[in-house]
Amino acid sequence: MNSPTATSQPIASTKRRRMSTRRLSTNALIGGSIIFVVVAAAIIGVWWTPYDPLRINFGAKLQGPSAQYWLGTDEFGRDVLSRLIAGASSSVWISTLTVCLSVIAGTIIGVLAGFIRGWTDRIIMAFINALLAFPGLLLALGLLAVVGANKYGIILALSLAYTPSVTRVVRGTVLSIRQREFIESSRVLGNSELYTMVHHVLPNCIAPLTVLATSMFGWVILAESALSFLGLGVPPPAPTWGNMLASARPFLDQAPYLSIFPGLCISLTLLGINLFGDAIRDKLDPHMNKGQ
Amino acid sequence: MVRFILNRIVMAIPTLLIVSVAVFMMIRLIPGDPAQLLLGDLADPVELESLRQAMGLNQPWPTQFIAWFNNVLHLDLGRSISTGQDVLPLVWSRFLVSAQIVVLAVLFSSLVAVPAGIIAAWRQNSATDLVLVGTATLLVSIPTFWLGLLLLLLFAIKLSWLPVVGYVSFSEDAKGALLYIILPILTLFLHEIGVLMRMARANALEVLRLDYVTHARAKGLSERMVLMRHVFKNSFGPTWTLIGLVLGNLLGGIAVVETVFTIPGLGRLLIDAIFARDYPLIQGCLLFTATIYVVVNLLVDLLYPVFDPRVTTE
Amino acid sequence: MEERPKERYKCCQVGLAALLLSIGAVFPQGQADATTLRVQINADIRSTDPGINRDATTDSVVLHMVEGLVGYDAKGETRPLLAKTVDVSPDGLSYTFHLRENVKFHNGATLSADDVVWSWNRYMSPKLGWRCLPDFDGRKGFRIEEIKTVNEHTVLFTLNHPNPLFLTTMARSDCGMSAITHRDSVRPDGSWDKPIGTGPFKLKEWKHREYISLTPNADYVSPGEQPDGYVGSKRPMVDEIRFLVIPDLATAKAALLQGSIDILTRLPYNEAAELQKNPNVSVSTSSLLASFALLLQTSDPTLSNLKLRQAIASALDYEQLVQNVTYGLGVPNNSIVPISSPYYTEAEKKGHRYDLEHARKLLKESGYRGQPLKIIANKQYTYLFDSAVIAQAMLQQVGINAQIEVLEWGTQLDRWQKGNYQLMAFPYSSRMDPALNFETIIGDREKQPRKVWDDPQAIELLAQATEEPDAQVRQALFAQLHQGVIEQVPLIVLASQMALDAAQKSVVGYKASIFGSPLLWEVSKK
Repeated sequence: MNSPTATSQPIASTKRRRMSTRRLSTNALIGGSIIFVVVAAAIIGVWWTPYDPLRINFGAKLQGPSAQYWLGTDEFGRDVLSRLIAGASSSVWISTLTVCLSVIAGTIIGVLAGFIRGWTDRIIMAFINALLAFPGLLLALGLLAVVGANKYGIILALSLAYTPSVTRVVRGTVLSIRQREFIESSRVLGNSELYTMVHHVLPNCIAPLTVLATSMFGWVILAESALSFLGLGVPPPAPTWGNMLASARPFLDQAPYLSIFPGLCISLTLLGINLFGDAIRDKLDPHMNKGQ
Repeated sequence: MVRFILNRIVMAIPTLLIVSVAVFMMIRLIPGDPAQLLLGDLADPVELESLRQAMGLNQPWPTQFIAWFNNVLHLDLGRSISTGQDVLPLVWSRFLVSAQIVVLAVLFSSLVAVPAGIIAAWRQNSATDLVLVGTATLLVSIPTFWLGLLLLLLFAIKLSWLPVVGYVSFSEDAKGALLYIILPILTLFLHEIGVLMRMARANALEVLRLDYVTHARAKGLSERMVLMRHVFKNSFGPTWTLIGLVLGNLLGGIAVVETVFTIPGLGRLLIDAIFARDYPLIQGCLLFTATIYVVVNLLVDLLYPVFDPRVTTE
Repeated sequence: MEERPKERYKCCQVGLAALLLSIGAVFPQGQADATTLRVQINADIRSTDPGINRDATTDSVVLHMVEGLVGYDAKGETRPLLAKTVDVSPDGLSYTFHLRENVKFHNGATLSADDVVWSWNRYMSPKLGWRCLPDFDGRKGFRIEEIKTVNEHTVLFTLNHPNPLFLTTMARSDCGMSAITHRDSVRPDGSWDKPIGTGPFKLKEWKHREYISLTPNADYVSPGEQPDGYVGSKRPMVDEIRFLVIPDLATAKAALLQGSIDILTRLPYNEAAELQKNPNVSVSTSSLLASFALLLQTSDPTLSNLKLRQAIASALDYEQLVQNVTYGLGVPNNSIVPISSPYYTEAEKKGHRYDLEHARKLLKESGYRGQPLKIIANKQYTYLFDSAVIAQAMLQQVGINAQIEVLEWGTQLDRWQKGNYQLMAFPYSSRMDPALNFETIIGDREKQPRKVWDDPQAIELLAQATEEPDAQVRQALFAQLHQGVIEQVPLIVLASQMALDAAQKSVVGYKASIFGSPLLWEVSKK
């Protein structure tokens, strides 16, 4: 898609810059703290939770928050807080792997397309555009039905859905800088294509990639919850915030807290990621907010 | 201009072709077929075979694809296995339902978000800006299906202001129809305000730094004139592009909102079709969605010069 | 000046709130005509042609408009419906149906033998795609050789060999009850128009994806004096039945509570408690002629070990499992013969015994070394999923490494069909006779991997039961088969399924039926 950008050179306003520096550290602080809490919970959750998130206890079915069960219990008598912590582990793990996979795959493909150009580029972009024309959620749905709805199937499906975005950004960056002089000089100096790519092109991709990757963490967590909500996420009884929300639906009026807490977790995590992402973007290059 | 359109259509064809082939193959790779699902546990080999035959499922894939594709070229998308209705009219009517909600939501949210974003940029780092950006970031972080659930809980169940039963078409009962779509539109509206406001603000910030804005100020133009004449026009462009992207993506992601509010829209149709292994319907839906996506992007790019005359379609 | 844009924004917010508030004031009550019965269905029907392109929802609607020669009574036994009496020849090859007189179609025409022959010839034509054609055209070994009119009110069916289940099959809802429809139901070009049947209701309007509206058949005469399933008194007592398509359960429930729906059927078990407390709603339950079970794949290397299977059977606390999964509505039943079947006796009550010690002992004897065992379930059927979760926990307690794999229904069905699983929580559909219940699990696994039990003796016993007309003898055969299931554990039946229906208190005479679909005759509204 052609995204025309403004062509004039911006003039930095010093006063504004100083003020935004102060503000962006607030963003980074709040966002960073939230992310820290979530990741800490995720890591701790691998070894310890207040109760066993899978342990069924019919005597304690559907109890509201109390001193014993801080956030209440679900329809099997399982402790909600423990399940939320275990869910954090799941979300962090899935999003980290998905982002890594997408970034690696997308970068390789994007660099290939941008560097080599010609028919390779056209074919690659045809496929990328086809993938983008697929509603992401539904691509994941179809893939999951084939591959099987487990953690790794979801990681694969979501990576496939998000690689095109990475490819586009990387290719765009590659295209915009390959014209620049130091690339030419690198070639003239006799460096191989690969060397040029690794040493000159890639470092320039890091900034836009970081911004994109930060957003992607949020997208993946959201996508996994949406998939679970529709019935195709990480299968229960292993808890994820998404499938906890989905299981809570029949009890919306009986036990509303079951729907509120997981949603709150997702929202807070996304808030943290968005704030932190804003801070990173402001820091790396304020002119990069167009990188969607 | 005409060349531009034609060029884009030609470029879209390979995309649509790839999508068709990919969808065709993928759904047949998924375990389970429509005959099996229809018969359930009452299926014995004899009945399965005769049903599969009736559905044309035991022909080789290329034959099936060519037959389907041939029909597509005649604008016949086949017949749905699970509902017995013709696919194209079915997909179209469901699309209208989804589009109604998406377009209204994006329209209202643009009207609110774009001015708000510009204001926030104008008053960068002031209290106004903080509040607006904070709200936007908050709204962006809330998953739409959760937001929808909460709104449903509040307005329909606890307060009983709004009905819970899914949908009535405008042609049948305009007043009733309005009630049914308020909550889904509200849900999307709230979410998109967040997205669009942040974008509009970012673009406006960009423009505000530009030297011709300083120039305009130096010339003595009032703030308001500067805002209207320069900032708005120039920052709307990329925002407009994003609106296009959002529209296109929403049509796919609207499935969750449709599930929460029981709206018979395109998203829900596709998901049900996948669960029912309704091959003609899945293929028709996805081809249609991909086409809409291409058309929306085309329109967005065509209308871009309206907002930014410096850009011509090349 | 800087205030203007902000004000605009605030205006929008105020405007929105005002809009919402005003709509609250204008909110329509959604009350319909006093004698319209509004019933929820969770998907649109597929067609109105009985037995052609149908599913369970379609059958439940269509069977209000059409009737067959025979039908099921309230207990699920086959009785004459359009026929007054049925004579079976001693050799079991000839069935003579004496039709009731003065039975009117929706168009006023009187039912005659010609109509019966016309309908049946239509069903038996291969091009039509009648659901039950394979059951009658010889592909499964049984064939109707000839159907002919004897006189204006008598029809003779000749079979290729005796089949005690012939009438039971004819009356099946997925066959559309082999309904007799008038030839005007079909257009001159041969395509289906609408059902002109003999049922208590006729089709008024089918608004696709929204609702189906039925109105009473003014000329309807009931086949019986008292309400008795499909064959008793079936008077239409409302001016209209509207089947509304509401796919989402939460929505349907809210509609019931708000008063815009009168009847909900097949609710999930967890809804019972809350609805029972509601003063405006009356709840009814019925046991169904269907079960749900935990299947065990005996050809799996780990599960081929009989002692291990028996250990699993002893490790499950059936009382607690069924209690929790059905929220107190159901009772455990380890027999595939449903509790409400006339053939369910003391013999069927003997099932597996929950005994942890015994289970552990058997486990040790089996030589189980902790291999993982996967239980397949899906989330679309909540009670199945719950059963799998609880079973897994119970098996873990005994030391069996059970894991759950959640699949989507279509995928699970495919795995079931191919026998590709270790353990699976599975729902069986209603069958009107225990021989048919057993037929779903017994068979040659080479040819049909979906059968779980291929013991040659079982296959032999089943064949006998299918051909045996005497009820006592059949009873004994079923008891033997059940005994075999308990000993060999090819599957563990957990319980018979229950229907949970809810209706407004203003609805009079409605209760859940053994068929799992609503019977809306003899039902009125205050």
